[in-house]
Amino acid sequence: MEPTNQFSKELGVFEEHRQEWSRSSPGKFVAIQGEDVAGFFGTYADALRAGLKKFGVRHEFLIKQVWQTEPVYYIS
Amino acid sequence: MGRAILQWNPSDPTDPGALIDVSVMNSQDVIDAWNSEGLACPPPVKMKALLDTGAAVTIISKTFARHCKLYQTGQGNVRALGALHPCGEHAGTISFPGTNLRPIESIRILSGDFIREPHFACLIGRDILRHWTVTFDGTARHVTITD
Repeated sequence: MEPTNQFSKELGVFEEHRQEWSRSSPGKFVAIQGEDVAGFFGTYADALRAGLKKFGVRHEFLIKQVWQTEPVYYIS
Repeated sequence: MGRAILQWNPSDPTDPGALIDVSVMNSQDVIDAWNSEGLACPPPVKMKALLDTGAAVTIISKTFARHCKLYQTGQGNVRALGALHPCGEHAGTISFPGTNLRPIESIRILSGDFIREPHFACLIGRDILRHWTVTFDGTARHVTITD
């Protein structure tokens, strides 16, 4: 998938809070749209459900797992 | 308990590996939200998937992700053959037609380029494999999955 700016604002909010959130909510999933945060959740599915409830389905929102450093997924 | 048996011949160099039929669609939560807004919901897309213990996460061809309009929730990178490849992150549900394996619902599915890959359009990664017991029987040339 080509790099896009689709979630640039949300990723900016995430990076701004990454250190703080990685201490308070490590491993949790956060849902963000614009600068609004729907909360922190134990599973991706719960974050999806909460994001849809808060933000609706018409405009996509970011779901990120909170880690201090960005994980890279290996495919071999 | 669900069960599936896949043909697999490790002695055949042309055998692409253990393949299973999958059906990929949006998460039921997304479908419900679309329906409540009166938006059309694309049908599930069927494809072949490779059981891949070397894949940390499940990834499908971005062509198929676009075709079934998988709801995007992010973007990231995967590392394959030493290089980083950009990918999309989507919410989706994967089911296994022709078997009684339980669908894997509302999981994160990555999308990426499957260049010149004629045999499959999805890698079933360890995020799904961890739900199953998988036995590779090279002598009998089959793979058994139970959930």
